[in-house]
Amino acid sequence: MPSSQTPPAGATALDPTAVRPDIDDARIIRVTPAEVRATLERLKSEGFAMLLDIGGADYPGREPRFDVVYHLIVLSGAARTVAAVGRPERVRVLCGVPEADPTVPTMSDLWPAADWAEREVYDLFGLRFSGHPDLRRIQMPVEWEGHPLRKDYPLRGPARERTPRPSFALKSNVAAGTPASGRTAAALQRQIAAARGQTPKDDVK
Amino acid sequence: MTAGTGAPAHGLEIVDAGDGRMIISMGPQHPSTHGVLQVITELEGETVLRADPEIGYLHTGIEKSAENLFWTQASTVIERMDYLSPLSNACAFIMGVEQLLGITGDIPVRAQQARVLLCELHRIASHCVWLGTGGIDLGAISGFFYAFDLRERILDLTELSGGARMHPNYLRIGGLRDDLPDGFLRKLDELIAMYYPRMHDLRALLQKNPILQDRMIDVGILGADDAIAWGITGPALRATGVPYDVRRAFPYSGYEQYEFDVVTRTEGDAYARFMVRLDEMDQSMRIIEQVRRKLETPGPVMIADTKFAPPPKETIALSMEALIHHFKIVSESFRVPPGDVYQAIEGPRGELGYYIVSNGDNRPWRVRTRPPSMYNLQVLKKIAVGEYIADMVVMIGSLDPVFGEVDR
Repeated sequence: MPSSQTPPAGATALDPTAVRPDIDDARIIRVTPAEVRATLERLKSEGFAMLLDIGGADYPGREPRFDVVYHLIVLSGAARTVAAVGRPERVRVLCGVPEADPTVPTMSDLWPAADWAEREVYDLFGLRFSGHPDLRRIQMPVEWEGHPLRKDYPLRGPARERTPRPSFALKSNVAAGTPASGRTAAALQRQIAAARGQTPKDDVK
Repeated sequence: MTAGTGAPAHGLEIVDAGDGRMIISMGPQHPSTHGVLQVITELEGETVLRADPEIGYLHTGIEKSAENLFWTQASTVIERMDYLSPLSNACAFIMGVEQLLGITGDIPVRAQQARVLLCELHRIASHCVWLGTGGIDLGAISGFFYAFDLRERILDLTELSGGARMHPNYLRIGGLRDDLPDGFLRKLDELIAMYYPRMHDLRALLQKNPILQDRMIDVGILGADDAIAWGITGPALRATGVPYDVRRAFPYSGYEQYEFDVVTRTEGDAYARFMVRLDEMDQSMRIIEQVRRKLETPGPVMIADTKFAPPPKETIALSMEALIHHFKIVSESFRVPPGDVYQAIEGPRGELGYYIVSNGDNRPWRVRTRPPSMYNLQVLKKIAVGEYIADMVVMIGSLDPVFGEVDR
């Protein structure tokens, strides 16, 4: 299957997130890695108490190349009725991260929920979270090389050594003159019979 | 080997760390880990000092796969994340794509009702698995058969609707693949009729069982503020007293029309999570009964815009245009305007969100799942501390992780 690893020529924008920022009802804030910590601290003090998710996104060719996407929601542990929860405000913080220095400050001390989420972004995108207490791979095996969700990472993984095939399955070992199609089994039977010193049964023409 | 350094997985492994402490690696083949979870625990006697869940054994790269499939194909792999309630995943993703296309308001009412119906059926089915296997974790074997029988009847309905027991790919961008077949509502009525007596039996077997109560009450206590800081959603959050339910907070697919209660408990222990899920199943059945009445009215189930709706199958043999149109949608899908969107629904485990980015192509550029059970499972690091190692299985069961979704 062909893969859309690079934006197609007809794509309207290198950064699709910049095109229609008002599609859902979340407020969108764009920050740099230097500002993200102060922004999220301020949002947390404003009542955005739950960090719903941290995700990554890769836009090769754009500068900065990566986005770390934080989803926050206003929620209070004191809310005890459906009306008190209401329709909570959502905010989405997009932090552009340059490829040259893919480092973002960690949020795991502000929200313990960030721990695994940041590990996953590190694992799958190769972005580093400075100050994270335990930054290691979470989904891929520890010895894995590369970061699979990057767009330049091949869909089916890196080329690997294949399981060795038995010699009879190698093209180079098939005797010349083997019929092209439909007769391979018969040809193999002849080879085997010849190797055993028997006369091959001539049932197939 | 110490906890937290990526210890190799060899089943139950015990290391004496000296000074009375012991490090035990539980899983990933442990039967009560609901799939493939490894928990590296540091013990003193029987008390857990530290627990570090290791995930990733079921990582299948579904997000990457989805980014390399057409918009119309991506929901097939996305359904396989949370394999206990496949249609919830598809529903969230498809509604996100519909938002990007700007056609959310054009989805036929009957399609929305059927989506609600199937999502609620799958919530019950998913909770049945949790109830059955959670009971087995605690030694209550009989409940398993009652719960799985109920689930099997729901899967029969899924099979009737979409042709496959678990991953029917029945929800489509713009509506449903087909209308609900003849006989579906009759089978649904049979399910509704057998549901309440069955839940009565299950409650008698499990909820009122003094051994189970002893095992669950005051185990794995989680407070409301901690739950919010750890990103807990769904029944585990509502068991701490916070009535956050996406169906109420951000109604989608017509949920504002249905009457149901957001079930909460305040204890925050494993028993509270157990009770919230049980009561939630009854609320789901309440919704199903209301949808059932609405489904009497026939109507279209696919958006009228032929850009997204493939032509009816019977016209393909008769009309050249229909054949070409069908071929175009199947072979190259359609293009989605660039932009990003976050669409969340209330899955059986909590807020199931999709952050979808389109760059204007016929494939999604980025599909990020907000996996509720990954965040819910992470809190095991906190709630297990100070508990007995024997209660670990209770706590894992009460968080109800599904590893297709945790690892994706």
